[in-house]
Amino acid sequence: MDFVLRVAGLEKRYGAVNAVQGLTFAVAPGEVLGLVGPNGAGKTSTLRCLAGILPPTSGRVVVAGYDLAKDAVDAKRELAFLPDEPRFFDYLTVWEHLNFTARLYGVEDWEERGKALLEEMELTGKEKALPGELSRGMKQKLSIACGFLHSPKLILLDEPLTGLDPIGIRRMKASLRRRAEEGAALVLSSHLLPLVEELCHRLLVIAGGRAMALGSLEAIRSRLSGPEGESASLEDLFVRITSGAGTEKPPP
Amino acid sequence: MSFSSAVVFLWLASSRNRLRLQLQRLRRPRYLVGALVGLGYIYSIFLRRLEFGGALSSVPPGVRLFAELSLVLSALVTVFSAWALGPDRPSLTFTETEVVQLFPAPVTRSSLLHYKLARGILGAAVGALFASLFVGRLVSPAPGLFFLGAFLSLGTLYLHATAASFMRTRWAEAWGTRGLVARWAVLGCVLAAVGLAAYAALEAHPFPRTLSIPGVLRNWVQAVVASPGLSAVLWPARLLVAPALAQDSSAFLSAVPPVLGLALAHYVWVRLAEVPFEESAVTQAETRTRERSQRASGGVAKGRALSSRKAPFRLSARGRPEVALIWKNLITRRRMAGGVASVLASLLLGCAIVAMMGESRFFTDTRRVLGPLGVSLAAMMAVVGPSVFRMDLRMDLPKLDLLRALPLAGWQVVGAELTASALMVGLLQLGLLAVGLLSGPGAEDPWLLTWWWPGGVALAVLLPSVSLAGLFVQNAAVVLFPAWVPADRTGSARGIEALGQRLLTLMGSLVVSLVGLLRAALAGAVVGFPLWSSLDVWALPLGAAAASAVLAGEVVLGVLLLGRAFEHLDVSEDRPE
Repeated sequence: MDFVLRVAGLEKRYGAVNAVQGLTFAVAPGEVLGLVGPNGAGKTSTLRCLAGILPPTSGRVVVAGYDLAKDAVDAKRELAFLPDEPRFFDYLTVWEHLNFTARLYGVEDWEERGKALLEEMELTGKEKALPGELSRGMKQKLSIACGFLHSPKLILLDEPLTGLDPIGIRRMKASLRRRAEEGAALVLSSHLLPLVEELCHRLLVIAGGRAMALGSLEAIRSRLSGPEGESASLEDLFVRITSGAGTEKPPP
Repeated sequence: MSFSSAVVFLWLASSRNRLRLQLQRLRRPRYLVGALVGLGYIYSIFLRRLEFGGALSSVPPGVRLFAELSLVLSALVTVFSAWALGPDRPSLTFTETEVVQLFPAPVTRSSLLHYKLARGILGAAVGALFASLFVGRLVSPAPGLFFLGAFLSLGTLYLHATAASFMRTRWAEAWGTRGLVARWAVLGCVLAAVGLAAYAALEAHPFPRTLSIPGVLRNWVQAVVASPGLSAVLWPARLLVAPALAQDSSAFLSAVPPVLGLALAHYVWVRLAEVPFEESAVTQAETRTRERSQRASGGVAKGRALSSRKAPFRLSARGRPEVALIWKNLITRRRMAGGVASVLASLLLGCAIVAMMGESRFFTDTRRVLGPLGVSLAAMMAVVGPSVFRMDLRMDLPKLDLLRALPLAGWQVVGAELTASALMVGLLQLGLLAVGLLSGPGAEDPWLLTWWWPGGVALAVLLPSVSLAGLFVQNAAVVLFPAWVPADRTGSARGIEALGQRLLTLMGSLVVSLVGLLRAALAGAVVGFPLWSSLDVWALPLGAAAASAVLAGEVVLGVLLLGRAFEHLDVSEDRPE
């Protein structure tokens, strides 16, 4: 199978701290992988390594056939990273951010695509607004619009629904589903377990930087032994898996 | 697709939008007035002194020597700092926006490095422009040449600092502590060599016994720096600043090639020494964002760690609720400890200056110095204290929603917020006065001896009230004019109009303070003068008590009025654009 993302033995150390330890997984086109884990599990470090923001300490990341270490530019051209906290240049307007992104990624028909994305994100009419004039949710939508502009094959999302209203959440979920149906691979990190359960085909549960479970919800559920295994919700599974890792104690 | 063209687009569009936004702001009167005052200030302080019509015919040799030595020493200190100070990590700093927007983009590390180098070189150009505006005309008859020379020097120093940070990162990663020891061994040898050269120069050219003859000091300095050892130490830096100090075009043209060569060599060095900087950039960007957000919410200032000192007293659950605010602010004061540290640092600096000036009495008869010093510092605190101690509304107003939700009236919040700062400044003043008064006046002058204790008691009564009034004015400004005096300094506007706004606010605060003090002075005079005939100098404390009572009364009345304003305060309209 031709995977869009292949990760082998990914490790990230900050001094003496092992943030990510030996992660190995792959994501196929059209697949949505949920990255879940407690606070400090290494999710953001993992996403940053996959996005080429941080160089991994060891291991290999291949995006759309390009090795992120050797062919960084080609690999990055095929991916989009949407951080949990959208950040923009203070004095570039909404439209100019799209223009800037288009120039970076070489998107020639960016104006057409940009208009369609602003429409999809309900940002039409805000083209001339500066980031300071946008609400948190609008910023999130602009971040997503910039990320989708070059039609990436791999989309890395860190808490993508933060700050969105219920309608925005519904539209965003539909938008992510559509990207997946069009063949993009998505890696989605979120604490919103119902969202993960609804959107993701497979889950990667990490704790203490290590992979604790990888597979579909059903596969993970069936793999778990115990009397409640078969009817356990994702929340139950999450608590059971991660509390065993000792990174987060369950409430008394 | 081109990263360089994207960056040019980013810079041009950002500059255009920024200018447009600033011009749009001028439609609002407060920004227009601020801009006019700011422009007037800049013109009167800097531009008026420039002679655009013609260049200065010649630069006095003393000024030129001082300028040259200042520039040479600055360059040497910058180079030394690059190797000695700070952590062993790349010095390239990115904002979090740059990290999020540029790091995952299809851009090579080399392109990111060039992006930052271009920013640094632009910064050098801006620095050179300011240097040309403020000092260029004083030291060079050709400001244009000074600008070009300063730009080359600053740019080269920037490249040097970047290359040094790369080298330090490499050594730290390769050799760890051994690398650190080796670096400091080399630095120690360099410092020792410089020290020896300076010692030899001073041995050969002792300090002149008298400075009354014009030019003797300049000749001595020239002789010292021309001595073989020091001359060799200063040579690289002199080479670097030579274009900036060139007196004419031919001197400039002959001084430029070596510096251009040096800059080019540094660029090649940076490229060869390049190390991965992403991790350090991400960490630093996050740290700066976190600190900015802490400051915006009234948190601790940059780089200041909170200590875990105990609360000043146990807060009972019963009693007046506003005491909780005082308690909270006193805890903040204790845990930040910045104001006291600043005062102690000033004291130490003062002592060091006294010692350097050869005031031997400081060591042989400490009490003689402590007396006047304590009293002076206590008086100084009445002016400086309200600006240094800020654990009041200036710290808490960013948390306006939280303050509003408290079950307290406006005047209670304002009063409690003022109290902690006032207590701290007042207690510090009383402590300094106690030390000063008990140490004595430091001279046997009968007039001083007569006035020492009555004057001291008068100050003890009056100074805390003056500080309280100063604190009140500064807090009132934040509540009454939140747009002009933003409590959170992170979001405050920048630019000429903001400079003008701050100047106007400062002037307004001074006028209000003076009006308040005038009434108090009048009350003091009304009480003090009639009693003078019977009590003599001891009428002074009573007059001070009357003045103090008036000031306290004014503050109490002000707190009541300010409490109402606080209850109706709406900062939403005045949030920074």
